Amino acid sequence: MTAKGVLSMDSYRLAQYSVQVPCYICEGGNAFDTAICRHCCAPMALAHQAKSQKQDPRVIAAIGASASGKTVYLGMLTDMLSQPGQALQLVARGAFSISLQQSTVSALEKCCFPEKTPTEPDQWNWVHCQVRKSKQRVPIELVVPDIAGEALAEEIDHPGTFPVIASLLSKCQGIFMIIDAARMAEGFKDQEFFAMKMLAYLSELDDHPKKGWRDKPIAFVLTKADECELCFDDPVNFAREHSPGLWQQCQERFARHQIFASGVAGACTYRTLSMGIRTRVPLRIEPRGITEPFLWLIQQLK
Amino acid sequence: MGSLLGNTILALSGAFGLAYFTYRVGTWTRKNLPTPEPIVGGKIDDELDVDNQPVTYPAPPRPERKAQVDTNNTVELVGEMLAQGRYALLLRAQVAENLTPEQLERAQTALDDTMSLVPHGEVLMLPSSNVDEEYDSQSSEGELILIEPLFLDRHPVTNKQFHEFVWAGGYEQMSFWDPEIWPGFIDFVDQTDHPGPRGWSDGMYPNGRGDHPVVGVSWYEAVAFSRWVGKRLPSDPEWVKAAAWPVSVDGRKPLQKRFSWGNSFDPNRANVWSTGKNDTVSVYEFDEGVSPGGAYGLNGNVWEWTSTNYGVWDNHRFEMSTPFKSVRGGAFDSYFEAHATSQFQSGEVPVARKHNIGFRCAIGLCDVVNGFNIDNADDDVLATYAVTT
Repeated sequence: MTAKGVLSMDSYRLAQYSVQVPCYICEGGNAFDTAICRHCCAPMALAHQAKSQKQDPRVIAAIGASASGKTVYLGMLTDMLSQPGQALQLVARGAFSISLQQSTVSALEKCCFPEKTPTEPDQWNWVHCQVRKSKQRVPIELVVPDIAGEALAEEIDHPGTFPVIASLLSKCQGIFMIIDAARMAEGFKDQEFFAMKMLAYLSELDDHPKKGWRDKPIAFVLTKADECELCFDDPVNFAREHSPGLWQQCQERFARHQIFASGVAGACTYRTLSMGIRTRVPLRIEPRGITEPFLWLIQQLK
Repeated sequence: MGSLLGNTILALSGAFGLAYFTYRVGTWTRKNLPTPEPIVGGKIDDELDVDNQPVTYPAPPRPERKAQVDTNNTVELVGEMLAQGRYALLLRAQVAENLTPEQLERAQTALDDTMSLVPHGEVLMLPSSNVDEEYDSQSSEGELILIEPLFLDRHPVTNKQFHEFVWAGGYEQMSFWDPEIWPGFIDFVDQTDHPGPRGWSDGMYPNGRGDHPVVGVSWYEAVAFSRWVGKRLPSDPEWVKAAAWPVSVDGRKPLQKRFSWGNSFDPNRANVWSTGKNDTVSVYEFDEGVSPGGAYGLNGNVWEWTSTNYGVWDNHRFEMSTPFKSVRGGAFDSYFEAHATSQFQSGEVPVARKHNIGFRCAIGLCDVVNGFNIDNADDDVLATYAVTT
């Protein structure tokens, strides 16, 4: 390669580097060839795709305590909506958007739950997709991240630990609040407290009476309801009886919310592997109540 | 003779007599239960064939039911038992020898019409974590189990059939129920607190679902029904033998079918999630999903209870406060087709009354009088019999 050629290429690159590309989530500047935002670790592909489509994607997040079922819910949801004949049709944009679906479905098919989502934001799965109703001409561009429960807990207790979470939730048009119904049915209060703290965090994040979280849709998804059939029979009453504090907070602070029951496994048990590791395994996969919260949330988006 | 026959049947159906469950809560009695739907033999409600004519299926002859059956009247008693589908009791050697040739023939016809033969042979039982490796005949995984020949119901037990059991007071005859479940017996009620499957109301199944498989029944209810009709639940290997139809070549591990009709999934042959029905269907639908032995609906529609505990073929240790019972075959809401294969095993708590778990019954060939002597029948005869039936 000649010296002249090298100089020419460097100049070209330098010109590109001089223009900062804003991250779609935190709007921090990044170099044009950055894969992950250096400020918040969101994939820069979101920004590039949004720019090319000339349409800002809506952001919906699934939040909830660790091991409440966020990854399984989102993975199952994306897979179900990718099948033909659904009321809403989902088409992934970018190969990275299929990773969540792939890892979840591959694990469930082998009667395992997917690996825990790592706490580090650069390891999270992000889904950028188009969602289209059967008679809708223009699809909705949607971004759905799979956030680690530990990161959420850390950010709530120590705001600023994970800047991506604050940026992301500020950008969200709606959320799934994932709550482990089986744990609630057993009488544990940790799920309720986590949800209450999360809602308080959201209220503080944006308390605008019309544009803030007071008027944004929140779908409460009671997961693992297959382990407590009463939850499926009447999820609203189940939530009222098992989490009165959360119920009261919702009535007071959030105008648009709905409670759903969902389940993915028909039955679960614990298996001890050869190394003595005790792991929870599904015995079969029978999704129930997966798409309903999403359909409601999409209808509620302004 | 009638008195003797009546006494024999009573002794068989309730080993220690028919003791009524006097401490039951509620005022349910047989009088309060709605009268069952008119008997339609093998006709399927609301189902029409290509010529818009009602589809009919072979069914055992069912004489008209009388309000009270005189147990000393042999003709009435046999007729009643045939109408209830309890022909297997009539074919017990002790009972059969007291029947007239015509009665015996009717009972045998009923058995041939409603049960398929599973021949004697070996079946490979794989660990639940290894269900996709069933084609590898060189694999060291799995356990070969020898199965004695048996009859297996061609279809899962329907709501209509289970209603016969409820209507006949099956929930009150404690001899059909395992003593261990007596304390939990009070939970086996329908939505209106009448004895019956979980999804029923007033002791009656939902309208138009007479030919759907009964669901919402615990393992104990399935066992009680099986005893009432003179049968039993199939064991796990028996069920797999019927569905996977193993064929041994050169003494190697048997080749087994993934689905009862073959190795490829076909949405026209089984009711699973991808079929899009989203509910149970009549047991007579998906009639192309038939095993070589003539059993229908083994894959899809409803999971089926077996008599075996879950996890016995696994190397891993499962932690369960109560031993789960094995369920087989997948259901209408089974998301993965791989979970509706003949080899896939799932499990459930025996007291669970799930919306997608039903059952079918079995009976050993040696337990019934069936026209030929099993002791002298070799495999070829049984195989021929299986094909011809």
